[in-house]
Amino acid sequence: MANPVSDPSRATVQTAAAHPQPRLAVRFPGLVRRLPWLVLAVLALFPLLAPLGGLEYYVGFVRRLLIVAIAAASLNFILGYGGMAALGHAGFVGVGAYTVVALVDAGFSSAWLAWGAALLAAGLCAALIGAVSLRTRGVYFIMITLAFAQMLYYLAVSLRTYGGDDGYGLYTPLAMGAWLDGAHPDVFYWVVLGIAALVFAAFGRVAHSRFGYALRGIRDNETRMAALGYPVYRLKLAGFAAAGAVAGLAGGLLASHNAFVSPAIMHWTQSALLLVMVMLGGLGRRWGAPLGVALWLTLEEMLKLYTDYWHWPLGLLLLLVVFRAPQGLAALFERRDGHGGAR
Amino acid sequence: MSLFRAQGLVKRFGGLLAADHVDLAVEQGEIHALIGPNGAGKSTLVNLISGLLPADAGRIVLDGVDLTPLSAQQRVRHGLARCFQIASVFRSDSVRDNLLLAVQAQAGSSFRCLRRRESERALMDAAQALAERLALTEVLDRPAGVLPHGMQKRLDVALALAARPRLLLLDEPMAGMGPEDSRQMIELIESLRGEMAILLIEHDMDAVFQLAGRISVLVNGRVLTSGDAAHVRGHAEVQSVYLGTEVPA
Amino acid sequence: MDAIFVFEQLLNGLGYGLMLFLIAAGLTLVFGIMDTMNLAHGSLYMAGAYVAARVHEASASFALAVLVAVLVTVAVAALLEVLVVRHLYRRDHLVQVLATFGIILIADDAVKAIWGVAPLMASTPAALAGPVQLIDGLPYPAYRLLLIGAGLLVALGLYLLVSRTRVGMLVRAGASNRQMAEYMGVRVGGVFAFVFALGAALAALAGALMAPISAVQIGMGEAILIPALVVIVIGGIGSIRGAFVAALLVGLVDTAGRAFLPPALRAVLPPSVAADLGPALAGIAMYVLMAAVLTLKPAGLFPARA
Repeated sequence: MANPVSDPSRATVQTAAAHPQPRLAVRFPGLVRRLPWLVLAVLALFPLLAPLGGLEYYVGFVRRLLIVAIAAASLNFILGYGGMAALGHAGFVGVGAYTVVALVDAGFSSAWLAWGAALLAAGLCAALIGAVSLRTRGVYFIMITLAFAQMLYYLAVSLRTYGGDDGYGLYTPLAMGAWLDGAHPDVFYWVVLGIAALVFAAFGRVAHSRFGYALRGIRDNETRMAALGYPVYRLKLAGFAAAGAVAGLAGGLLASHNAFVSPAIMHWTQSALLLVMVMLGGLGRRWGAPLGVALWLTLEEMLKLYTDYWHWPLGLLLLLVVFRAPQGLAALFERRDGHGGAR
Repeated sequence: MSLFRAQGLVKRFGGLLAADHVDLAVEQGEIHALIGPNGAGKSTLVNLISGLLPADAGRIVLDGVDLTPLSAQQRVRHGLARCFQIASVFRSDSVRDNLLLAVQAQAGSSFRCLRRRESERALMDAAQALAERLALTEVLDRPAGVLPHGMQKRLDVALALAARPRLLLLDEPMAGMGPEDSRQMIELIESLRGEMAILLIEHDMDAVFQLAGRISVLVNGRVLTSGDAAHVRGHAEVQSVYLGTEVPA
Repeated sequence: MDAIFVFEQLLNGLGYGLMLFLIAAGLTLVFGIMDTMNLAHGSLYMAGAYVAARVHEASASFALAVLVAVLVTVAVAALLEVLVVRHLYRRDHLVQVLATFGIILIADDAVKAIWGVAPLMASTPAALAGPVQLIDGLPYPAYRLLLIGAGLLVALGLYLLVSRTRVGMLVRAGASNRQMAEYMGVRVGGVFAFVFALGAALAALAGALMAPISAVQIGMGEAILIPALVVIVIGGIGSIRGAFVAALLVGLVDTAGRAFLPPALRAVLPPSVAADLGPALAGIAMYVLMAAVLTLKPAGLFPARA
C-alpha cells in the first residue's frame, strides 16, 4: 500500500468523506464517556437475565462475540495504530487454538496453562513471521503475511495427529481452578468477559503510552520517525508480536468455546473477515473492533434465522460502509473530527 | 580536526551518478552552505548523510565516530538530525503531539507501554520549551497539517532540534516561502549559530551569503569547490555553471 | 519414478501454470495500472466456469460455451466496473479489500441463487475426451493439451497487445507512471475500463477451460485467488512478463511438490512422519517460493515501477 501520507489525493478523498453531522459524543458527552462501563455491566449481568427472556442460547453467542472481538482488537492495534496491513491474522488465532489442542492431546488439563501457552506460542510465531514480513512494504506486506498464514493453514491440515482437515474435538472442558469449575454453568462466560475487558483496557492504555504514540507516528510518517531517531523496525516488530500473542489468546479461548479446532479457523477468508470487521467498526478507533465484530456477527446470526442467502446483505453493508461511512462506525462516537484519525 | 567529514560518497541510480566521490567537511559550530543547480544531487547527499539512503561507497565520520554502518535512527543518537525539503511533520496530529513525539525519541525508551504519556512531566516541559523557542506556542493545539507553510517548516526544524544535534542538516528551509517567512527562518538559523554545526542546502542566495561561513558548490554529483563567499563568488567555473544560470532573486 | 512420469507432471504443471497466468494477467494489470486490489477477480473466474458448464450442457457445443462464458462475464464485469470498482481507483488498498470482499459475498450468493449449492459436474468436450499418444508410453489427455495450447496462444496475444499496439503502450505507460500518463492526456478512464474488461475476459476464459477438470462450486473463486495473487507478487505487480514467468514457476513448483515430495519423503523418513509432512510441504511450496523471492527481490522478479 502506498504510504497514505505521501499521497495527498487519497488523503483528500478520505477527509472529504468525513461525517459532517454533529457527533453523538458532542451531543451526549457524559453518556459516551460512561458507555463502556454501562456495556460491561450489561454484559456481566446478561447470563443472569437471559433466561428471563428465553435468550439462553445467546449467552454462548455473546461469548463467541467477545472472543472474536479480542482477536479483532489485536488486529486493530497493529493495523489501525501501527499501519501494518496484515492479512494473516487468523493464522495466529490458529496457532493459539492448536497450542491448546497439542497440550490437551499431551494430557494437560489446566485452562490457564493452555491459554497462557497459546498466547506465548502465537506471540513467538508472530515475532518470527514479523521479523521477515516487516522488511517488505505495502501490498507486498499484505501478501507475505497472507503467505505465512497459508503455510500455517496447510501445516494444520497435514497434522493427522490432530485430525488434519477434520479437526480435533476437545471432549472434556479445561479446568479453570478449584472454585471456578462447576460453580455456575456460565463461569467460562465471565472469565472470557473478564479477559476481554482486560485486553481492551490494556490496548486503551497502550494507545496513550509512549509506545502507542510512536506506533501511530510510524503509521503516519515512517521516514520522519526514522529521522527522529526511532528504532522503527523494532517498534513495529514489538507491536506485531504483541498483537499476534493476543490473537493467540483469542484462539485458545475459541478452542475452549467450540470444544473443537479445525484448520478452517485459519483459512484466509477468516483473516479477511477480521480485517473487514475492524474496518467496519473503525480503523484505529478504540471501540472500532468490538463495534465491528458485534454488528457483523449479530447481523450474520439474525440473517441466518430468516434466509439461506445471508451473505449478500453483508456484502452490501460493506459497500455501503466504503461509500457512505469510510471512517467506520466508531467515528460516530469520536469527540472531534480527526482525533486519532483512521488514516 | 573537522566535526564532520564525508569522504568519497558515491550513489548510483541506474546509470545516473547522483553522488560522485563527494568529500565534504563541516567545522565545529559553523554554518556551511551547500549550493548547486537543480539535479546536482544535493538532496541525495542529505539522504546519504542522514542515512535514509544507503551509500554505494564512502565514509561518514561525526566527531570521530564512523557513522557509515549505522542506520538513520542510530545516526540521530550520535548527534545528526535533519529537516526535509517538503516539511515532514505529522499532519493529523496537533503541534504539541508533534513536539512530544520528537522529544520522546530522545528521552528514555519508546517501548514503555503502560504509563500514560500525558503524565510524564519532563516530556511536556521539554515540548513546551521547544515550542517557545520556535514561536509555536500559539498553535500548540492545532493540527500540523492545517498550519501555514512557513510554520510547518519551522515545526520541521523544531522536530530536528529536539534531538539536540551536533550537526543539523537543513534541506532547503526557505523553499517556497514568502519574504516574511524567509526572514523569520534566517533569524532562527542565525540563533542556532555556535550551538551546533549546520549544513544548509538552499537556493536563496541572499540567505546563503548572509548565513554561511563557508560554501560548497555541488555540480553533477561532484563538489566543484569549497570556500568562503568571496572565493565562491569569484570562482570562474562556479560563475559559468551555476551563478550564471541561476540569478539570485 | 521414471522419466515418463516426470514428463507427464511437467505437462500438468505447465497447464496449471498457464491457467494461473490467465487469471493473474488481469489481476496484475488492474493492480499495476489502477493500483487497485480486486479480490473479486476470483468471482469472475467462477462466473466463467458456471456459465460455460451450463451452456456446454445445454448446447453440447464447447466452443459456444466458452464464447458465451466470456461474453457474459465481461458484461458482468462492465457493470461491476461502472457501479463499484471505478469509484475505488483512488481509494486506499484496505478500502478496496473491504469493498471487493463485499462483492465476493454478493457474488457467492448470486451463484447460489441461480445454480444452487451443489457443485456442477462439467464434462470435457466429447471430441477431446480421449488421450493422445504423445510419446511412447505416455498417453496424455487431449483436453489438457488444449489447455496448454490455449494458454500459450493467449499469452502470445497478450504479449503482442501490450508490446505492439497503442492500447498496449497506454497500458505500459499507466503501469509505470499513471500520473505521467494522465498529464499526457491519456483518457485514463477509458483505458481502465478496457483493462478491467480484458482481465475479466481472461479470468472467464480460465474458468471456462478449467471447469471440466476442476470442481465447479461456490468458493472456487476464493480458492484460485490466492495462488493468482502469489503469482503477481512473485512476478512483480503490474508486469505481464513477470506474471507469465511466475505463473509457470508456481504451476511447476505446486505440481512438482504434490507429485514428487511425498514419495521423496517416504524414501528418507519414517512412514508416519512422511505421511504428515508430505502434503504439508507440497501445500506450502509456492508460499515458500514467494517468501524466498520477496526476501531476495522485495518488489518481485520483474518490478514494473523501476
